[in-house]
Amino acid sequence: MLEIKNLHVTVGGKEILKGLNLTINDGEVHAIMGPNGAGKSTLSYAICGKDGYEITEGSVTYKGKDFLDMNPDERAGEGLFLGFQYPVEIPGVSNMNFLRTALNSQRCYRGDKDMAAVDFLKLIRAKAKELDMDPEMLKRPVNVGFSGGEKKRNEMVQMAVLDPNLAVLDETDSGLDIDALKIVAEGINRLRASDKAILMITHYQRLLDYVVPDYVHILADGRIVKTGDKSLALALEEKGYVGLGITEAA
Amino acid sequence: MVKILHLENPEIGKRFEAVRSSLTGWDQAWLDQLRAEAMTRFETTGIPGPKVEEWKYTNLGFLANENFAISNKARQQTEIKTLFDRAHMENIDGPVVVFVNGHIYPALSSYPDGHGISFAVFSENCQAFHPSLANIEYSSALNDLNRAMVTDGYSLEIAPDVVLAKPIQVIHIVTSATDMKLLPVRSQIIAGKKSKARIIETFIGAEGERYWSHMVSEVTLAAKAELSLVQFQLQGKQAIHMTELHTKVAEKANFSHISLQLGSEISRTELLNSFNGEFANVDLRGAYLGRIKQSHDIFTRINHDLPNCNSNQLYRGVLDEGGKSAFQGKVVVARDAQKTNADQSNKNLLLSRKAEANAKPELLIYADDVKCSHGATVGELDSNQLFYLRSRGLDEAAAKGLLVEAFVSEVFDDLDDEILRDKFKEKAAGWLAQELPS
Repeated sequence: MLEIKNLHVTVGGKEILKGLNLTINDGEVHAIMGPNGAGKSTLSYAICGKDGYEITEGSVTYKGKDFLDMNPDERAGEGLFLGFQYPVEIPGVSNMNFLRTALNSQRCYRGDKDMAAVDFLKLIRAKAKELDMDPEMLKRPVNVGFSGGEKKRNEMVQMAVLDPNLAVLDETDSGLDIDALKIVAEGINRLRASDKAILMITHYQRLLDYVVPDYVHILADGRIVKTGDKSLALALEEKGYVGLGITEAA
Repeated sequence: MVKILHLENPEIGKRFEAVRSSLTGWDQAWLDQLRAEAMTRFETTGIPGPKVEEWKYTNLGFLANENFAISNKARQQTEIKTLFDRAHMENIDGPVVVFVNGHIYPALSSYPDGHGISFAVFSENCQAFHPSLANIEYSSALNDLNRAMVTDGYSLEIAPDVVLAKPIQVIHIVTSATDMKLLPVRSQIIAGKKSKARIIETFIGAEGERYWSHMVSEVTLAAKAELSLVQFQLQGKQAIHMTELHTKVAEKANFSHISLQLGSEISRTELLNSFNGEFANVDLRGAYLGRIKQSHDIFTRINHDLPNCNSNQLYRGVLDEGGKSAFQGKVVVARDAQKTNADQSNKNLLLSRKAEANAKPELLIYADDVKCSHGATVGELDSNQLFYLRSRGLDEAAAKGLLVEAFVSEVFDDLDDEILRDKFKEKAAGWLAQELPS
């Protein structure tokens, strides 16, 4: 599904990722943990193609296609979804209008027709209900006045509606109380399928109690320094990065 | 001093003398005299030059250099119909008044009538315009030029307690082959006590034509009257478009003005309001979208001479490469005008480094117990918002379009008429679709 080879990324003249390798196969759930400043968010932005994240070396291949050649919207059209650590507020654009435009843009990219308004309404209502979102929030401007938890829940509703093949979730669990965390975890688990893949970037082991990953990677100083299964996350929780012999970002 | 600040064009006076005996109502002595007096005042005052503060952002140099002919009645029926169809909102089933090249066009008009409505057209009944033509309270160079040369216009008087069920549409069309014509039109609207009405005015013209459309409107609201004036400016890209609107609002009356500036090379919208009763409300709002060579100038002046009145101004501008705008909003709160509420907000979005937005809020407050606010911003699209939208699949043009639409929608989101709201959206979206890079 996703193959990252020797990825070097520079932000504002500073090299953040220094030769990162990662392969994610269909059906797998990966978790990336790492100390502050290790490059976790940089990795997610580089996968999605944000401006200002300059790839100086290496490759990112998605289903055999060169991702680095594509715009963020083309990557989304190919089936990528980025769950934001800090979802952006967009005053004046209703959640509903935003999602309909997004879904139809992706359908257009894939050569499909727009979804009929009635079908879209049914879909979004069903997804909001599954994720326990108040339908009134769909009419409100995107993320404006939403609490931290509501914003993250909104990310999950978007993910459910857009139904991506590859979800990169950047600290989707941060700032959530336990109930919200369970809902977010449920949203992630719903996406799990043999033809899909998920990359979770997280600070805490807590989320991994609810979404059990196939692989856990530790990212430090721009590289993946350790890979294991979920027991690695537990060990990390117990001993800390230093206890596992990983120093803070150099 | 006057010589430096003002420009001159003696040709305009000569032109007036040449056409004087063919102007509308030439055979009525009172009118001919008022016209001549207005022309004399215009020539004495001169054309405001770029050093006149109020005209800093709209250069009237063209007036000093170009000669105007009074427009002719047009007979290009197919073209008129095409422009009419673009402007006319047929799903608003109400009266329609159509002017073509500054002259009433009865074939497409259906005048407002019915109980308590007096409607007149200048070329059919000059006498009805005597009050506004004789009143030189609002005298200014351009107002006087308009007064001297006026070709046509409309007068609407709504009797007390009369509520108009349907809005009145007024459509001003300019056809091709006008060849630097001056189109001076006037309107006077008197809204009686507790009356209620809405007027939708659309200005539309042929592309590629250089013409100067100039409209002066005088609006009076009696106590508790409610009047909404909506203006769509869709002039051709080389046109010069100016409107000067004077409003007088009496006790507990509500006046609202909402406008969309899309067309013309130079546009100037003047809104000048005074209150003559307490507890009255005035709401002025608008969006202006400009690009290549276009310049939009919104000039407002609200005089709060009496206590307990409210005024609100909300303007949003979007400027793309080569577009220029100015918002000059003046609020004067007199010493006795306690408990005044005056808000003003002007935000501008620049889509290019080669765009310019000028914001000039001016608040002169002499009373001490008032609530006045103003805010003016000039900014760019937010790159985080753009990335967020693009990460969800919207391409660059669609993402920008959505953000720009959201930015201007604040102006018309509160409109109580869905047809009008959709019209604003449709027109704004049309501009965006044309302009934004793909």
